[in-house]
Amino acid sequence: MADNGKQNGDVVKVNFNFRRELARKVEGNLANYCYQCGACVGDCPAAYYSDEFNPREIMLKVLYGLGDELIREDSVLWLCTNCYNCHERCPQDVKPVEVIISMKNMLADAGIYPKGVDRVIATFESTGRTVPYSASIDNRRAKFGLPPLSPVPVDEIKQLLEPADKGDES
Amino acid sequence: MKRFAFFPGCLIPARYPAMEFAIRQVLPRLGIEPVDLPGASCCPDPIYFKSKDKVSWLSVAARNLALAEAQGLDVFTNCSGCTATLSESYHLLKDDKLRARVNERLARIGMEYRGTSRVRHIVTLLRDVAGYDTVAATVTRPLTGLKVAIHYGCHLLKPSKIMQVDDPNNPTVMEELVKAVGAEPVRHGNWYLCCGKACQVEDLPAKMMRDLLATVNEKQADILGLICPTCFSQFDMGQLKVAKQFDEDFHTPAVYYLQLLAFAQGIPYDDLGFGDQRIKPEVLRNFEEVPATTES
Repeated sequence: MADNGKQNGDVVKVNFNFRRELARKVEGNLANYCYQCGACVGDCPAAYYSDEFNPREIMLKVLYGLGDELIREDSVLWLCTNCYNCHERCPQDVKPVEVIISMKNMLADAGIYPKGVDRVIATFESTGRTVPYSASIDNRRAKFGLPPLSPVPVDEIKQLLEPADKGDES
Repeated sequence: MKRFAFFPGCLIPARYPAMEFAIRQVLPRLGIEPVDLPGASCCPDPIYFKSKDKVSWLSVAARNLALAEAQGLDVFTNCSGCTATLSESYHLLKDDKLRARVNERLARIGMEYRGTSRVRHIVTLLRDVAGYDTVAATVTRPLTGLKVAIHYGCHLLKPSKIMQVDDPNNPTVMEELVKAVGAEPVRHGNWYLCCGKACQVEDLPAKMMRDLLATVNEKQADILGLICPTCFSQFDMGQLKVAKQFDEDFHTPAVYYLQLLAFAQGIPYDDLGFGDQRIKPEVLRNFEEVPATTES
């Protein structure tokens, strides 16, 4: 992988455009503080159970600006279990999981999501909930003496999801 | 009665109403009054929607928190995912610039986020507001000898600086709550492992679950005790899938802690929705009182 950051012989060429784009996301700039100690790897269940996923390597790719290897179909980023162990262990407060989620925001900008993710997002954006409403839900609630689900003002949610005209990069 | 805004999220009210029923039964007995938050939406979820756009995610979370602020109440959640979203938003929105960006959006609907309502997971209400002794004092049906393998899940504890619930390397809150109902907490070898539900590939979480459930079996636990509806679905439906896939005898019923407490407080097994589970905690029936009168 490290060879990919090297062009023109041994000279490492960093793609700062990718890093600048990532830095515009909330907490997208944190990888800058990574000194590659690998504390994030030991406790990472995805790294333990997969040969493809290694949070230290992902942070290194970010430092080199190798966005093409991360922002693509079948991105390795989706192997992250979101367990937050790396966030807990990092001595530099890099929060690798947050850097990964910021890159998922870039994947979303490029319109690339796994199918299941796409579906949950669509349900949320159209109903304000991640579980689609159905009458059978209220029937089951009634069995426990619970009132019907309280309505979500979807119009308000939709207004919040509109990006600002300018100065609101995400 | 101490009042807290109740943020129920999506999964529990829609998929697991028995959990909500248990919460509404249990809390008043502990001197806690849950106050509903009309108009609350999905938190939004910290896995799917957050991965689309963090600023929109923060804006919707801020709206939910502003609903609690309007009532002048701290807010509690019954789901570790909701706790993660709302706690992290509370933390991130201490940043003036980010709060201004989010408030620009909230202004469109005539709302403002101020950061005046703290976020609590329901287990911290039991520990810090009621207290373990009070919880124990409400138990009328001690679950003596019941071995409960505890699954903390990830987002209750981590990131610890933001969640501020317990020490993620050696937490005690669930052990103490299990002892409060008279049962025996069991820490299995892979207690620290994630349930895997948030991972977007199939084989990786299945292998994790296999290893986790193998150590639960080693301890011969009667049930798995947990506090997150996402972990619950992974251990109820998901456990059967993993058992089939690896041809293993995995069968430990998962029980959401508030339902366990409601049962220990005397609510009948049949009223608590346990029959709807894929793997039913029938072992609890052993603790039901023998009826004083002969059955008809």
